[in-house]
Amino acid sequence: MMETALVFDRHGRTLHWHEPPGRSGGSLPDSRPLWDVLWEHRSAEKGGTGRLAGVAHTHPWDGPTGASGTDLTTFHAVELGLGQRLVWPIVTFTHVAWYARRRAIDNASLAGLNPMSDVYVPHNELPTWKLADIEELRLRSR
Amino acid sequence: MDNVIINNQAARLNITFEGSNGDLPDLVAYDANDGDIKAFATEAVRDGYVPGIAATPHANFTDFVVDRYAATAELPARIFLRPKTPFGR
Repeated sequence: MMETALVFDRHGRTLHWHEPPGRSGGSLPDSRPLWDVLWEHRSAEKGGTGRLAGVAHTHPWDGPTGASGTDLTTFHAVELGLGQRLVWPIVTFTHVAWYARRRAIDNASLAGLNPMSDVYVPHNELPTWKLADIEELRLRSR
Repeated sequence: MDNVIINNQAARLNITFEGSNGDLPDLVAYDANDGDIKAFATEAVRDGYVPGIAATPHANFTDFVVDRYAATAELPARIFLRPKTPFGR
């Protein structure tokens, strides 16, 4: 089992497969080439192609999952570098958890947290499109 | 900001932030540690000192990484500060 990732566009189509050296069943290493892909496809108003919507990566096991601390800090860092919000699906062999940044004040279940902070939470609403290569992503993670 | 150069190994620092990037006008030491590189960038971006990057009072590079490229016959030494991209543990 190996964690695998793909970069996708606004229609769920794959822009880039991410299978770097050094990946394992529990992690994907930091990667300059991945960053270069994200930068190339950042929003058009920032000078990119405008095609980037998000990055999906696998947690290669059955059942539901959640974002690790490393996942969350990477989500935040990448969005800070790009100046745009992305969608971050985490894919197991049986489930998908869609993460995106929300302000705590917008989510009643987060009452009590600092309302001015942003947090990454699983989407309650699924997107209208699907990841075109989700089964291939799972296959490449086995 | 004064140039911070040690042992004559100077490098140009490129910073990526909020969808823009730019070079710090002052050279830095190629072998400056990552903490110093981030400190230079933080001060510069907060003060609007990096051409191409708007002044951002709360700029924070905690989860950014440093890529270094030694000088070659054709190119000078370069340092790039960009977001980290690992997932998992």
